[in-house]
Amino acid sequence: MSMQFSVLTDNLPYLLRGAYPDGPLGGAALTVLLSVGSALASAILGLLLGIGLSMSRGLLNFLLAALIGFFRAIPVLMLIFWTYFLLPMVFHVDVPGVLSVMCALALIGGAYLAHSVHAGISGIGAGQWDAGLSLGMTRLAVLRHVVLPQALQMMLPSFVNQWVTLIKDSSLAYIVGVGELSFVATQVNSRVMIYPAEIFMFIGLIYFLLCSGLGWFAHWVAGYFRPAQDKRLLQATTT
Amino acid sequence: MLGQALAPKYLGWLVDGLWMTLHVSAVVALLSTLLGIVVAAARSSQRRWLALPAAAFLAVFRNTPLLVQLFFWYFGVSSLLPEGSVEWLNAVHTLALGSYLTLNWPSFELLCAVIGLSLYSAAYVSEEIRAGMRGVVAAQQLAGAALGLTRWQVLRYVILPQAVRIALPPLLGQYMNIIKNTSLTMAIGLAELSYTSRQVEAQTFKTFQAFGVATLFYIALIAVLEMLGQLLQRRQRLAVTGSTRR
Repeated sequence: MSMQFSVLTDNLPYLLRGAYPDGPLGGAALTVLLSVGSALASAILGLLLGIGLSMSRGLLNFLLAALIGFFRAIPVLMLIFWTYFLLPMVFHVDVPGVLSVMCALALIGGAYLAHSVHAGISGIGAGQWDAGLSLGMTRLAVLRHVVLPQALQMMLPSFVNQWVTLIKDSSLAYIVGVGELSFVATQVNSRVMIYPAEIFMFIGLIYFLLCSGLGWFAHWVAGYFRPAQDKRLLQATTT
Repeated sequence: MLGQALAPKYLGWLVDGLWMTLHVSAVVALLSTLLGIVVAAARSSQRRWLALPAAAFLAVFRNTPLLVQLFFWYFGVSSLLPEGSVEWLNAVHTLALGSYLTLNWPSFELLCAVIGLSLYSAAYVSEEIRAGMRGVVAAQQLAGAALGLTRWQVLRYVILPQAVRIALPPLLGQYMNIIKNTSLTMAIGLAELSYTSRQVEAQTFKTFQAFGVATLFYIALIAVLEMLGQLLQRRQRLAVTGSTRR
């Protein structure tokens, strides 16, 4: 067993950015783009659904929970099939594969984040709500100015975990032929034929760097904010 | 748009796919739990030569996509194996146990799917078990040691039985993930539920029905596990309150 690395150096530009600038963007660059797009969309969706789940009662609450449960129960791949097939039909336009995959990833990520947001909001004590309401604030104002700022800080780890999952799930775009990293890897693999272990290990390394890089970054951000908050807490408790 | 229902023949394909999904999920759940216990024990060991490789295993398998791991096992490993062994793996082997039970050697796709999924899932399962182990208070370990149990015996008879009970609800969540993740094995050609739904779609052009039935099957599987979890939790709660009352 001997490893061949020339296959990697020869194909490096293609693996990293696809045929760009002569052709469409692909490879690792498209993976990053796909991940960032669906991460933002899933965060917004997760916040809205989570707040909705926390603030609604009765039938609406039940419907929201059922919707979120549906997206959590089906495999990402199945949802990609659905969006890939349904979006062009609903909007009567040609929807690029990237967009339908982004839509699927955002829906599933949003459904998972909705639960974290809901849990985060439930974790804030009832006293905080009462305090806000007794100051004459509306429920929405209490949520916006009192509950969410505290809850979001607690939720940061779940958001980061979900985004790491999103980076990994973006590889499923391969199945509908979107030219992101996994797809170009299989292209290179079937062209050169003889070094699959090297190619897929290298692809794994790129994903590893992206995913753990995000983890380290989040850790650093969390550490950056924590001391300040602790100081505030300390002041609040000592005075 | 919704058209007629699928012909029984195609429904049969989907049911076959469902069986494959169920079988693979069951085997993977079992293997990943066993491996997960080993990894969790190694990760929380005091010995660095045990804890460090376990940490590396977790980092690598959790931070790379399952799809790429499956490609690596399917395409990569077969190229690293000595010549001829892949042909042997692909060929049909049967093992006759007695006169009525014969075991078929699994296809290479199935083998890769089970290995790839088990290793990937073990990385997640082991973290749930480790969290469960942390939930068992340190005093229990000391109590075991005071009774003259070895470290291994403490782990086996004191910590793990309690840890598994604490970890059961999150473990069920991981088993749900395993069911959903089996869908990725269609990329290496395993004829499970997603694969057959696409096959039916290509044959009949009844996209709604093909994907719809497959989606319903997935939801049914997850719902069954969800109910099982609720049932187990209720029984556990009853057992706990029962024992305190006694």
